[in-house]
Amino acid sequence: MSPELYIAAAGVILAAVVIILLFKAVWRVAEPNEALIISGLGARRRGEGGVDSLGFKIVTGKGTAVLPGFQAARRLRLDTRAANLQVSCVTQQGIPVHIRGVVIYKVGDDLSSIANAARRFLDQQDFMTSAIHELFTGHLRSIIGNLTIEDLILNRERLTSETRASAADEMSKLGLIVDSLQIQEIDDETGYIVNLGKPHAAKVAATARIAQAQRDQEATEAEQVAVANMAAARRDARIKEAAYQAEIDQAQATSRQAGPLSEATARQEVVVQETKAAELEAKLAEQRLQSQVRKPADAKAYETVTLSQAERDARIAQAEAEAKETELRAAAQASQIKLAAAAEAESVRLRGEAAGAATKIAGEAESEATRLRGMAEADAARAKGLAQAEAIKARAEALASNQEAVVAQQLAERWPEIVEAGAKAFGNVDHMVVLNGAQGVEEMLAKALTLGGAGLGLARALLNGGSPNGAEPEIIHKTTESRE
Amino acid sequence: MVGKQGRVTGKIGPGLVGEVMIPIRGGVEAFYAHPSVPDEEFGIGSIVIVVEYFPPRTVYVARALV
Repeated sequence: MSPELYIAAAGVILAAVVIILLFKAVWRVAEPNEALIISGLGARRRGEGGVDSLGFKIVTGKGTAVLPGFQAARRLRLDTRAANLQVSCVTQQGIPVHIRGVVIYKVGDDLSSIANAARRFLDQQDFMTSAIHELFTGHLRSIIGNLTIEDLILNRERLTSETRASAADEMSKLGLIVDSLQIQEIDDETGYIVNLGKPHAAKVAATARIAQAQRDQEATEAEQVAVANMAAARRDARIKEAAYQAEIDQAQATSRQAGPLSEATARQEVVVQETKAAELEAKLAEQRLQSQVRKPADAKAYETVTLSQAERDARIAQAEAEAKETELRAAAQASQIKLAAAAEAESVRLRGEAAGAATKIAGEAESEATRLRGMAEADAARAKGLAQAEAIKARAEALASNQEAVVAQQLAERWPEIVEAGAKAFGNVDHMVVLNGAQGVEEMLAKALTLGGAGLGLARALLNGGSPNGAEPEIIHKTTESRE
Repeated sequence: MVGKQGRVTGKIGPGLVGEVMIPIRGGVEAFYAHPSVPDEEFGIGSIVIVVEYFPPRTVYVARALV
């Protein structure tokens, strides 16, 4: 390898690098979102009008060579730009609102727009936004002034139309086109927008409440129906359950009672059989009684009845015969007695007459006799009375002379009564025990009599002392009584 | 530009600034539109044809005979 070759290769590379650098310094490319504005040598080109030309060259979407020193190339961005707007204004109805919006714009793609924009904004592209802001503030105020709030909110067509009508010419002058104008926010101090929505909101709320109430009602009704159905189902279930339970209980009771029942049935059978046996025994006994007692009794009764009937018949016949006989006999006797009575009556009459006469005679005789006897008796009684009176007179004289003797006589007359009174002292004694036998009795009786004797003495003393003359009239009285 | 057809996106009529979307330069751009015949109206969605072009962005349109 020779050094020359190295030098040549290095020279080629250097030359290539130089060429690339040179080319890069000269060649400029316009990207899709920008336009190259080239002014200077050779840029003045004849326009379509011939006389006036653009005065500079506009390159879009391709590359071009720019001669350094002779030409100047500037880039105009064609991007979309946005400008925020804040406007306080009034609507068509005079309602004050505070609007916040955004306008989206760009440089127009045609050469005229690019030329206009390039002439105005090429060196102050950042100023473009503030200029647009100022511009659109005024336009927006006039746009809002032509619209109502309802249009502002609802009618986009109207808004864009007003925007075009208002801003089209001025934007054309600036070489800009408005892609969009958006109202971002409307501050409504009077509450117009809020009130605007209220009727509808209230209506919707009312509808919602009505619907809710209706649904609620339906739901409640459905729930109640469901509850009622549940209750009914539960009731049915319980009824069926109870019925089944009753059947179960019945079956259980039946099975439980089956043993005792069969036992009872068996016992019943036994009792029935026993009853039959007892009945048979009773029948047997009855038959036995029939044959042993009743039949003989019947026979005897029959015999007795028959005999007594025969006897009765015999007696009746006998009685009848006797009656007949008696009757006949009585008739005979009656006739006989009748005859006898007639004869006796006659004899009695005759005898009575005879007796009457006899009695009359006897009565007369007896009355005479009685009269005579009475007279005799009267004489005798008179004589006897006279004699007694004489005797009493004599005794009175004697009493007056010797009273003691009279009293003794009277006591002697009354002695049995005195002894009786002494014995009465022992009459009230139920049991008397005498210890010394018969001698004791005699002593006791003697004492009682002695007491009676003492009483007698006392009585005599009383007679003597108390009424010595009283005894006489009493005795006289007694004598008169006895005389009568 | 003249002779191109476009679609109305903003109502065109007397006293209004309408808008037409016209395909151009490989894209679609919006142009301010006015009726070529006075008192003619074009609603949104109508197809129109460009009769006159005034740079930078104004066209006069007529009803397209589709």
